[in-house]
Amino acid sequence: MSYPELQTLKLERRGPVGWLINNRPERLNAMNALMREEFEVAWKVLDDDPEVRVIVHTGEGRAFQTGVDVNELATDGLGMERYRESVEKWDLHFTSWHNEVWKPVITAVNGLCAGGGFHWVADADIVIAASDAQFFDPHVSVGQVVAIEAIGLMKKMPVEAVMRMAFVGRHERMPAARAYELGMVSQVVDPPERLRDEAQALAEKIARNSPAAMAATKRALWGALETGLTEACRRGARELVSMWGHPDQEEGPRAFAEKREARWQAPSR
Amino acid sequence: MVASGYETLRVERTGPVGWLVFDRPEAANAMDARMMAELERAWRELDADPDVRVVVNTGAGRAFQTGLDLVQLSGDPAALREQARRTRDFALRFTAWHNEVWKPVIAAVNGVCAGGGLHFVADADVVIASSDATFLDPHVSVGQASVYETIALAKKSPMEPVLRMALVGSRERVDAARAYQLGIVSQVVDPPERLRDEAQALAEKIAQHPPDRLAATKRALWNALETP
Repeated sequence: MSYPELQTLKLERRGPVGWLINNRPERLNAMNALMREEFEVAWKVLDDDPEVRVIVHTGEGRAFQTGVDVNELATDGLGMERYRESVEKWDLHFTSWHNEVWKPVITAVNGLCAGGGFHWVADADIVIAASDAQFFDPHVSVGQVVAIEAIGLMKKMPVEAVMRMAFVGRHERMPAARAYELGMVSQVVDPPERLRDEAQALAEKIARNSPAAMAATKRALWGALETGLTEACRRGARELVSMWGHPDQEEGPRAFAEKREARWQAPSR
Repeated sequence: MVASGYETLRVERTGPVGWLVFDRPEAANAMDARMMAELERAWRELDADPDVRVVVNTGAGRAFQTGLDLVQLSGDPAALREQARRTRDFALRFTAWHNEVWKPVIAAVNGVCAGGGLHFVADADVVIASSDATFLDPHVSVGQASVYETIALAKKSPMEPVLRMALVGSRERVDAARAYQLGIVSQVVDPPERLRDEAQALAEKIAQHPPDRLAATKRALWNALETP
Protein backbone atom coordinates (compact mmCIF):
# COMPACT_ATOMS: atom_id res chain seq x y z
CA MET A 1 0.00 0.00 0.00
CA SER A 2 1.52 3.31 -1.05
CA TYR A 3 0.91 6.35 1.05
CA PRO A 4 -0.08 9.76 -0.30
CA GLU A 5 2.47 12.58 -0.35
CA LEU A 6 1.53 15.12 2.28
CA GLN A 7 3.08 18.56 2.69
CA THR A 8 3.09 18.88 6.46
CA LEU A 9 3.30 15.26 7.60
CA LYS A 10 5.33 12.23 6.63
CA LEU A 11 3.86 8.74 6.51
CA GLU A 12 6.02 5.65 6.51
CA ARG A 13 5.73 1.99 7.34
CA ARG A 14 8.56 0.05 8.96
CA GLY A 15 7.54 -3.58 9.32
CA PRO A 16 4.26 -3.68 11.23
CA VAL A 17 4.66 -0.11 12.45
CA GLY A 18 3.08 2.91 10.78
CA TRP A 19 4.91 6.18 11.39
CA LEU A 20 3.20 9.57 11.39
CA ILE A 21 5.79 12.35 11.55
CA ASN A 22 5.03 16.02 12.05
CA ASN A 23 7.04 17.69 9.32
CA ARG A 24 7.13 21.46 9.68
CA PRO A 25 10.37 21.64 11.66
CA GLU A 26 11.00 25.26 10.61
CA ARG A 27 7.74 26.14 12.42
CA LEU A 28 8.39 23.82 15.40
CA ASN A 29 5.71 21.58 13.87
CA ALA A 30 2.94 24.07 14.62
CA MET A 31 -0.36 23.12 13.06
CA ASN A 32 -1.58 25.33 10.23
CA ALA A 33 -4.89 24.81 8.47
CA LEU A 34 -3.32 22.45 5.94
CA MET A 35 -1.74 20.28 8.62
CA ARG A 36 -5.05 20.09 10.41
CA GLU A 37 -6.63 18.69 7.24
CA GLU A 38 -3.73 16.37 6.53
CA PHE A 39 -3.91 14.79 9.99
CA GLU A 40 -7.35 13.42 9.18
CA VAL A 41 -6.02 11.90 5.97
CA ALA A 42 -2.95 10.49 7.72
CA TRP A 43 -4.83 8.73 10.52
CA LYS A 44 -7.25 7.23 8.03
CA VAL A 45 -4.47 5.97 5.76
CA LEU A 46 -2.61 4.28 8.62
CA ASP A 47 -5.79 2.91 10.15
CA ASP A 48 -6.88 1.45 6.80
CA ASP A 49 -3.54 -0.24 6.06
CA PRO A 50 -3.88 -3.84 7.29
CA GLU A 51 -0.08 -4.18 7.43
CA VAL A 52 0.03 -1.50 10.12
CA ARG A 53 -0.53 -3.03 13.56
CA VAL A 54 0.72 -0.16 15.71
CA ILE A 55 1.15 3.57 14.98
CA VAL A 56 3.99 5.78 16.23
CA HIS A 57 3.58 9.56 16.12
CA THR A 58 6.60 11.85 16.45
CA GLY A 59 8.05 15.06 15.06
CA GLU A 60 10.94 16.24 12.88
CA GLY A 61 13.45 18.67 14.33
CA ARG A 62 13.72 20.00 17.84
CA ALA A 63 9.98 20.15 18.59
CA PHE A 64 7.34 17.46 18.75
CA GLN A 65 4.44 19.84 18.29
CA THR A 66 3.72 23.36 19.47
CA GLY A 67 0.01 23.75 18.88
CA VAL A 68 -1.70 25.95 16.38
CA ASP A 69 0.41 28.04 13.99
CA VAL A 70 0.09 31.51 15.52
CA ASN A 71 1.86 33.12 12.56
CA GLU A 72 -0.88 31.93 10.28
CA LEU A 73 -3.53 33.02 12.78
CA ALA A 74 -2.01 36.52 12.91
CA THR A 75 -1.67 36.97 9.17
CA ASP A 76 -4.41 35.11 7.29
CA GLY A 77 -7.18 37.51 8.24
CA LEU A 78 -9.27 34.67 9.68
CA GLY A 79 -7.48 33.82 12.92
CA MET A 80 -9.22 31.32 15.17
CA GLU A 81 -12.54 32.13 13.45
CA ARG A 82 -11.48 29.63 10.79
CA TYR A 83 -11.90 26.89 13.40
CA ARG A 84 -14.97 28.18 15.25
CA GLU A 85 -17.51 25.90 13.63
CA SER A 86 -15.53 22.68 14.04
CA VAL A 87 -14.79 23.40 17.70
CA GLU A 88 -18.33 24.46 18.54
CA LYS A 89 -19.71 21.35 16.86
CA TRP A 90 -17.01 19.21 18.47
CA ASP A 91 -16.08 18.01 14.99
CA LEU A 92 -12.31 17.65 15.32
CA HIS A 93 -10.21 15.18 13.34
CA PHE A 94 -6.57 15.76 14.14
CA THR A 95 -5.86 13.07 16.76
CA SER A 96 -6.29 9.30 16.70
CA TRP A 97 -9.01 9.58 19.34
CA HIS A 98 -10.94 12.13 17.26
CA ASN A 99 -10.75 9.71 14.34
CA GLU A 100 -11.65 6.58 16.35
CA VAL A 101 -8.44 4.77 15.52
CA TRP A 102 -8.51 1.54 17.55
CA LYS A 103 -5.01 0.43 16.70
CA PRO A 104 -2.50 1.12 19.48
CA VAL A 105 -0.97 4.60 19.15
CA ILE A 106 2.38 5.55 20.68
CA THR A 107 3.32 9.21 20.86
CA ALA A 108 7.11 9.66 20.92
CA VAL A 109 7.78 13.19 22.18
CA ASN A 110 11.05 14.28 20.60
CA GLY A 111 11.51 17.76 22.00
CA LEU A 112 9.22 20.65 22.80
CA CYS A 113 5.60 19.82 23.35
CA ALA A 114 3.65 23.02 23.90
CA GLY A 115 0.00 24.04 24.09
CA GLY A 116 -2.03 22.22 21.47
CA GLY A 117 0.78 19.67 21.26
CA PHE A 118 -0.80 18.12 24.35
CA HIS A 119 -3.68 16.88 22.19
CA TRP A 120 -1.44 14.06 20.98
CA VAL A 121 -0.14 13.30 24.47
CA ALA A 122 -3.64 13.18 25.94
CA ASP A 123 -5.13 11.19 23.07
CA ALA A 124 -2.38 8.56 22.60
CA ASP A 125 -2.47 5.21 24.35
CA ILE A 126 1.21 5.19 25.20
CA VAL A 127 3.59 8.15 25.47
CA ILE A 128 7.36 7.97 25.57
CA ALA A 129 9.71 10.93 25.55
CA ALA A 130 13.29 11.81 24.75
CA SER A 131 15.22 12.80 27.88
CA ASP A 132 15.41 16.40 26.62
CA ALA A 133 11.68 16.68 25.92
CA GLN A 134 9.91 19.56 27.64
CA PHE A 135 6.23 20.19 28.23
CA PHE A 136 4.43 23.49 28.76
CA ASP A 137 1.10 25.06 27.98
CA PRO A 138 1.34 28.74 26.95
CA HIS A 139 -2.34 29.26 26.08
CA VAL A 140 -3.11 31.73 28.87
CA SER A 141 0.15 33.58 28.22
CA VAL A 142 -1.09 34.50 24.74
CA GLY A 143 -4.65 35.30 25.73
CA GLN A 144 -6.14 31.93 24.88
CA VAL A 145 -8.14 29.44 26.92
CA VAL A 146 -6.90 25.89 27.28
CA ALA A 147 -9.65 23.31 27.63
CA ILE A 148 -9.81 20.22 25.47
CA GLU A 149 -6.27 18.90 25.72
CA ALA A 150 -5.94 19.70 29.43
CA ILE A 151 -9.27 17.97 30.15
CA GLY A 152 -8.03 14.88 28.35
CA LEU A 153 -4.84 14.90 30.40
CA MET A 154 -6.70 15.42 33.70
CA LYS A 155 -8.68 12.26 33.10
CA LYS A 156 -5.48 10.29 32.77
CA MET A 157 -3.04 11.67 35.34
CA PRO A 158 -2.82 13.68 38.56
CA VAL A 159 -4.91 16.82 38.12
CA GLU A 160 -2.77 19.28 40.04
CA ALA A 161 0.14 18.96 37.65
CA VAL A 162 -2.16 19.72 34.70
CA MET A 163 -3.73 22.73 36.40
CA ARG A 164 -0.30 24.13 37.21
CA MET A 165 0.77 23.90 33.58
CA ALA A 166 -2.49 25.48 32.46
CA PHE A 167 -2.10 28.48 34.79
CA VAL A 168 1.65 29.01 34.76
CA GLY A 169 1.61 29.16 30.98
CA ARG A 170 4.88 29.86 29.25
CA HIS A 171 6.76 30.72 32.41
CA GLU A 172 7.70 27.18 33.36
CA ARG A 173 8.49 23.92 31.60
CA MET A 174 8.03 20.36 32.81
CA PRO A 175 11.00 18.12 32.05
CA ALA A 176 10.61 14.56 30.77
CA ALA A 177 11.74 13.13 34.12
CA ARG A 178 8.80 14.77 35.91
CA ALA A 179 6.36 13.60 33.23
CA TYR A 180 7.63 10.07 33.92
CA GLU A 181 7.14 10.41 37.68
CA LEU A 182 3.57 11.55 37.12
CA GLY A 183 2.67 8.67 34.80
CA MET A 184 2.13 11.06 31.88
CA VAL A 185 4.83 9.15 30.00
CA SER A 186 5.95 5.59 30.66
CA GLN A 187 9.49 5.73 29.31
CA VAL A 188 12.23 8.33 29.01
CA VAL A 189 14.81 7.63 26.31
CA ASP A 190 18.40 8.69 26.83
CA PRO A 191 20.30 9.64 24.80
CA PRO A 192 17.49 11.46 22.97
CA GLU A 193 18.80 10.27 19.59
CA ARG A 194 17.60 6.77 20.45
CA LEU A 195 13.95 7.83 20.70
CA ARG A 196 12.82 6.50 17.33
CA ASP A 197 14.67 3.19 17.76
CA GLU A 198 13.06 2.69 21.15
CA ALA A 199 9.64 3.63 19.80
CA GLN A 200 10.03 1.13 16.96
CA ALA A 201 11.14 -1.60 19.40
CA LEU A 202 8.19 -0.95 21.71
CA ALA A 203 5.78 -0.88 18.77
CA GLU A 204 7.15 -4.20 17.49
CA LYS A 205 6.53 -5.81 20.88
CA ILE A 206 2.95 -4.58 20.80
CA ALA A 207 2.53 -5.68 17.18
CA ARG A 208 2.99 -9.29 18.30
CA ASN A 209 -0.33 -9.16 20.18
CA SER A 210 -3.79 -9.87 18.81
CA PRO A 211 -5.04 -6.82 16.85
CA ALA A 212 -8.66 -7.65 17.63
CA ALA A 213 -7.99 -8.10 21.34
CA MET A 214 -6.06 -4.84 21.48
CA ALA A 215 -8.83 -2.95 19.71
CA ALA A 216 -11.42 -4.37 22.13
CA THR A 217 -9.21 -3.48 25.11
CA LYS A 218 -8.66 0.01 23.80
CA ARG A 219 -12.37 0.62 23.28
CA ALA A 220 -13.14 -0.64 26.79
CA LEU A 221 -10.49 1.51 28.48
CA TRP A 222 -11.21 4.71 26.57
CA GLY A 223 -14.92 4.06 27.06
CA ALA A 224 -14.27 3.91 30.79
CA LEU A 225 -13.34 7.60 30.76
CA GLU A 226 -16.89 8.39 29.69
CA THR A 227 -18.62 6.86 32.68
CA GLY A 228 -18.39 5.49 36.24
CA LEU A 229 -16.71 2.28 37.32
CA THR A 230 -19.61 -0.17 37.35
CA GLU A 231 -21.16 1.19 34.16
CA ALA A 232 -17.74 1.10 32.48
CA CYS A 233 -17.40 -2.57 33.41
CA ARG A 234 -20.88 -3.34 32.10
CA ARG A 235 -20.10 -1.63 28.81
CA GLY A 236 -16.67 -3.24 28.78
CA ALA A 237 -18.33 -6.66 29.00
CA ARG A 238 -19.43 -6.22 25.40
CA GLU A 239 -15.81 -5.76 24.33
CA LEU A 240 -14.70 -8.74 26.39
CA VAL A 241 -17.37 -11.00 24.93
CA SER A 242 -16.60 -9.77 21.41
CA MET A 243 -13.45 -11.93 21.51
CA TRP A 244 -15.32 -15.12 22.39
CA GLY A 245 -15.44 -17.32 19.33
CA HIS A 246 -12.96 -15.05 17.55
CA PRO A 247 -10.18 -17.07 15.85
CA ASP A 248 -7.51 -15.20 17.85
CA GLN A 249 -8.91 -16.55 21.08
CA GLU A 250 -8.15 -20.09 19.88
CA GLU A 251 -4.90 -19.16 18.21
CA GLY A 252 -3.35 -17.46 21.26
CA PRO A 253 -3.26 -20.46 23.60
CA ARG A 254 -2.38 -22.82 20.70
CA ALA A 255 0.63 -20.71 19.69
CA PHE A 256 1.69 -20.50 23.33
CA ALA A 257 1.48 -24.28 23.77
CA GLU A 258 3.37 -24.86 20.51
CA LYS A 259 5.99 -22.24 21.44
CA ARG A 260 5.61 -20.34 18.19
CA GLU A 261 4.56 -16.84 17.14
CA ALA A 262 0.78 -16.46 16.95
CA ARG A 263 -0.84 -15.91 13.56
CA TRP A 264 -3.52 -13.36 14.29
CA GLN A 265 -6.36 -12.17 12.11
CA ALA A 266 -5.44 -8.95 10.31
CA PRO A 267 -6.90 -5.83 11.87
CA SER A 268 -10.16 -4.62 10.41
CA ARG A 269 -11.87 -1.27 10.72
CA MET B 1 -8.21 -20.33 64.74
CA VAL B 2 -8.15 -21.84 61.27
CA ALA B 3 -11.37 -22.08 59.34
CA SER B 4 -11.76 -25.42 57.67
CA GLY B 5 -13.43 -26.42 54.44
CA TYR B 6 -11.20 -24.62 51.93
CA GLU B 7 -9.05 -26.47 49.45
CA THR B 8 -7.61 -23.57 47.44
CA LEU B 9 -7.48 -20.80 50.03
CA ARG B 10 -6.32 -20.38 53.55
CA VAL B 11 -8.67 -18.29 55.67
CA GLU B 12 -7.21 -17.34 59.01
CA ARG B 13 -7.39 -14.75 61.80
CA THR B 14 -4.54 -13.04 63.57
CA GLY B 15 -5.88 -10.64 66.15
CA PRO B 16 -8.34 -8.27 64.44
CA VAL B 17 -7.03 -9.16 61.00
CA GLY B 18 -8.60 -11.72 58.69
CA TRP B 19 -6.25 -13.31 56.18
CA LEU B 20 -7.40 -14.57 52.80
CA VAL B 21 -4.48 -16.40 51.20
CA PHE B 22 -4.50 -17.85 47.68
CA ASP B 23 -3.17 -21.36 48.19
CA ARG B 24 -2.50 -23.09 44.90
CA PRO B 25 1.23 -22.34 44.74
CA GLU B 26 1.80 -25.25 42.33
CA ALA B 27 -0.48 -23.41 39.83
CA ALA B 28 0.90 -19.91 40.57
CA ASN B 29 -2.36 -19.40 42.51
CA ALA B 30 -4.44 -19.33 39.33
CA MET B 31 -8.19 -19.47 39.90
CA ASP B 32 -9.76 -22.81 39.10
CA ALA B 33 -13.48 -23.53 39.51
CA ARG B 34 -13.00 -24.45 43.17
CA MET B 35 -11.11 -21.28 44.00
CA MET B 36 -13.73 -19.10 42.38
CA ALA B 37 -16.45 -20.72 44.48
CA GLU B 38 -14.32 -20.57 47.60
CA LEU B 39 -13.43 -16.91 47.14
CA GLU B 40 -17.07 -15.87 47.35
CA ARG B 41 -17.52 -17.96 50.47
CA ALA B 42 -14.33 -16.67 52.10
CA TRP B 43 -15.16 -13.00 51.54
CA ARG B 44 -18.61 -13.56 53.01
CA GLU B 45 -17.21 -15.43 55.99
CA LEU B 46 -14.65 -12.73 56.80
CA ASP B 47 -17.19 -9.98 56.20
CA ALA B 48 -19.69 -11.61 58.57
CA ASP B 49 -17.16 -12.18 61.38
CA PRO B 50 -17.39 -9.23 63.81
CA ASP B 51 -13.93 -9.99 65.16
CA VAL B 52 -12.40 -9.32 61.75
CA ARG B 53 -11.84 -5.56 61.30
CA VAL B 54 -9.50 -5.58 58.33
CA VAL B 55 -8.78 -8.20 55.67
CA VAL B 56 -5.37 -8.91 54.15
CA ASN B 57 -5.28 -10.76 50.82
CA THR B 58 -2.03 -12.39 49.73
CA GLY B 59 -0.70 -15.54 48.04
CA ALA B 60 1.27 -18.60 49.09
CA GLY B 61 4.47 -19.36 47.23
CA ARG B 62 6.15 -17.32 44.52
CA ALA B 63 3.08 -15.85 42.84
CA PHE B 64 0.39 -13.55 44.15
CA GLN B 65 -2.30 -14.42 41.63
CA THR B 66 -2.19 -15.17 37.90
CA GLY B 67 -5.83 -15.10 36.82
CA LEU B 68 -8.08 -17.83 35.53
CA ASP B 69 -6.71 -21.36 35.36
CA LEU B 70 -7.72 -21.98 31.76
CA VAL B 71 -6.22 -25.47 31.74
CA GLN B 72 -8.50 -26.60 34.55
CA LEU B 73 -11.51 -24.70 33.22
CA SER B 74 -11.14 -26.09 29.70
CA GLY B 75 -11.61 -29.58 31.18
CA ASP B 76 -14.66 -28.54 33.19
CA PRO B 77 -17.33 -27.39 30.72
CA ALA B 78 -19.97 -26.67 33.35
CA ALA B 79 -17.61 -24.41 35.31
CA LEU B 80 -16.47 -22.74 32.12
CA ARG B 81 -20.06 -22.02 31.11
CA GLU B 82 -20.86 -20.61 34.53
CA GLN B 83 -17.73 -18.44 34.44
CA ALA B 84 -18.63 -17.26 30.94
CA ARG B 85 -22.08 -16.27 32.11
CA ARG B 86 -20.73 -14.37 35.09
CA THR B 87 -18.17 -12.61 32.95
CA ARG B 88 -20.68 -11.64 30.30
CA ASP B 89 -23.18 -10.38 32.89
CA PHE B 90 -20.47 -8.72 34.98
CA ALA B 91 -21.62 -10.90 37.88
CA LEU B 92 -18.14 -11.87 39.11
CA ARG B 93 -17.61 -12.79 42.75
CA PHE B 94 -13.81 -13.01 43.03
CA THR B 95 -12.95 -9.83 44.86
CA ALA B 96 -13.99 -7.86 47.91
CA TRP B 97 -15.55 -5.24 45.65
CA HIS B 98 -17.55 -7.87 43.73
CA ASN B 99 -18.81 -9.20 47.07
CA GLU B 100 -19.53 -5.77 48.54
CA VAL B 101 -17.20 -6.18 51.47
CA TRP B 102 -17.08 -2.79 53.21
CA LYS B 103 -14.30 -3.68 55.61
CA PRO B 104 -10.90 -2.32 54.65
CA VAL B 105 -9.03 -4.74 52.38
CA ILE B 106 -5.26 -4.73 51.94
CA ALA B 107 -3.76 -6.61 49.00
CA ALA B 108 -0.22 -7.74 49.86
CA VAL B 109 1.34 -8.65 46.52
CA ASN B 110 3.98 -11.28 47.25
CA GLY B 111 5.25 -12.03 43.73
CA VAL B 112 3.99 -12.04 40.19
CA CYS B 113 0.53 -10.58 39.65
CA ALA B 114 -0.63 -11.34 36.13
CA GLY B 115 -3.79 -10.80 34.08
CA GLY B 116 -6.85 -11.60 36.18
CA GLY B 117 -4.65 -11.28 39.26
CA LEU B 118 -4.93 -7.55 38.71
CA HIS B 119 -8.58 -7.78 39.84
CA PHE B 120 -7.33 -8.13 43.40
CA VAL B 121 -5.04 -5.13 43.10
CA ALA B 122 -7.62 -2.93 41.41
CA ASP B 123 -10.39 -3.87 43.83
CA ALA B 124 -8.43 -3.59 47.09
CA ASP B 125 -8.43 -0.41 49.17
CA VAL B 126 -4.75 -0.49 50.03
CA VAL B 127 -2.04 -2.31 48.09
CA ILE B 128 1.44 -3.10 49.31
CA ALA B 129 4.02 -5.22 47.54
CA SER B 130 7.21 -7.11 48.22
CA SER B 131 10.22 -5.60 46.52
CA ASP B 132 10.35 -8.52 44.07
CA ALA B 133 6.68 -8.28 43.04
CA THR B 134 5.90 -7.71 39.36
CA PHE B 135 2.77 -6.79 37.46
CA LEU B 136 1.80 -7.68 33.90
CA ASP B 137 -1.30 -8.16 31.81
CA PRO B 138 -0.84 -10.88 29.15
CA HIS B 139 -4.45 -10.91 27.90
CA VAL B 140 -3.85 -9.45 24.44
CA SER B 141 -0.85 -11.77 23.91
CA VAL B 142 -3.17 -14.79 24.09
CA GLY B 143 -6.03 -13.28 22.08
CA GLN B 144 -8.12 -11.95 24.97
CA ALA B 145 -9.32 -8.43 25.73
CA SER B 146 -8.28 -6.83 29.01
CA VAL B 147 -11.29 -5.08 30.49
CA TYR B 148 -12.50 -5.17 34.09
CA GLU B 149 -9.16 -5.20 35.86
CA THR B 150 -7.59 -2.47 33.78
CA ILE B 151 -10.71 -0.29 33.81
CA ALA B 152 -10.62 -0.24 37.60
CA LEU B 153 -6.87 0.36 37.66
CA ALA B 154 -7.23 3.22 35.19
CA LYS B 155 -9.83 4.81 37.46
CA LYS B 156 -7.41 4.70 40.39
CA SER B 157 -3.98 5.45 38.98
CA PRO B 158 -2.46 7.27 35.99
CA MET B 159 -3.96 5.78 32.86
CA GLU B 160 -1.08 5.79 30.42
CA PRO B 161 0.92 3.14 32.29
CA VAL B 162 -2.24 1.02 32.53
CA LEU B 163 -2.87 1.30 28.79
CA ARG B 164 0.76 0.40 28.17
CA MET B 165 0.51 -2.68 30.39
CA ALA B 166 -2.72 -3.75 28.68
CA LEU B 167 -1.38 -3.27 25.13
CA VAL B 168 2.17 -4.59 25.62
CA GLY B 169 0.82 -7.83 27.06
CA SER B 170 3.24 -10.51 28.16
CA ARG B 171 6.34 -8.74 26.86
CA GLU B 172 6.95 -6.29 29.68
CA ARG B 173 6.50 -6.16 33.43
CA VAL B 174 5.97 -3.29 35.84
CA ASP B 175 8.18 -3.75 38.88
CA ALA B 176 7.24 -2.91 42.45
CA ALA B 177 9.31 0.28 42.52
CA ARG B 178 7.51 1.68 39.44
CA ALA B 179 4.13 0.59 40.84
CA TYR B 180 5.00 2.59 43.95
CA GLN B 181 5.92 5.70 41.92
CA LEU B 182 2.64 5.49 40.05
CA GLY B 183 0.58 5.11 43.20
CA ILE B 184 -0.65 1.64 42.26
CA VAL B 185 0.89 0.50 45.55
CA SER B 186 1.65 2.62 48.61
CA GLN B 187 4.43 0.58 50.21
CA VAL B 188 7.24 -1.66 48.98
CA VAL B 189 8.54 -4.14 51.54
CA ASP B 190 12.18 -5.11 51.48
CA PRO B 191 13.33 -7.76 52.15
CA PRO B 192 10.32 -9.53 50.58
CA GLU B 193 10.13 -12.00 53.48
CA ARG B 194 8.84 -9.18 55.68
CA LEU B 195 5.71 -8.63 53.58
CA ARG B 196 3.26 -10.46 55.82
CA ASP B 197 4.63 -8.86 58.98
CA GLU B 198 4.29 -5.41 57.44
CA ALA B 199 0.79 -6.19 56.17
CA GLN B 200 -0.25 -7.34 59.64
CA ALA B 201 1.22 -4.20 61.22
CA LEU B 202 -0.55 -1.94 58.72
CA ALA B 203 -3.83 -3.81 59.17
CA GLU B 204 -3.57 -3.44 62.96
CA LYS B 205 -3.15 0.32 62.59
CA ILE B 206 -6.29 0.48 60.47
CA ALA B 207 -8.14 -1.86 62.83
CA GLN B 208 -7.85 0.68 65.66
CA HIS B 209 -10.53 2.80 64.00
CA PRO B 210 -14.29 2.46 64.46
CA PRO B 211 -15.58 -0.17 61.99
CA ASP B 212 -18.68 1.81 61.07
CA ARG B 213 -16.60 4.89 60.18
CA LEU B 214 -14.24 2.79 58.11
CA ALA B 215 -17.15 1.21 56.26
CA ALA B 216 -18.87 4.55 55.64
CA THR B 217 -15.63 6.04 54.37
CA LYS B 218 -15.03 3.09 52.09
CA ARG B 219 -18.54 3.34 50.63
CA ALA B 220 -18.22 7.06 50.05
CA LEU B 221 -14.87 6.77 48.28
CA TRP B 222 -15.75 3.80 46.08
CA ASN B 223 -19.06 5.43 45.17
CA ALA B 224 -17.09 8.44 43.96
CA LEU B 225 -15.70 6.20 41.22
CA GLU B 226 -19.22 5.68 39.92
CA THR B 227 -19.43 9.08 38.27
CA PRO B 228 -17.26 9.93 35.22
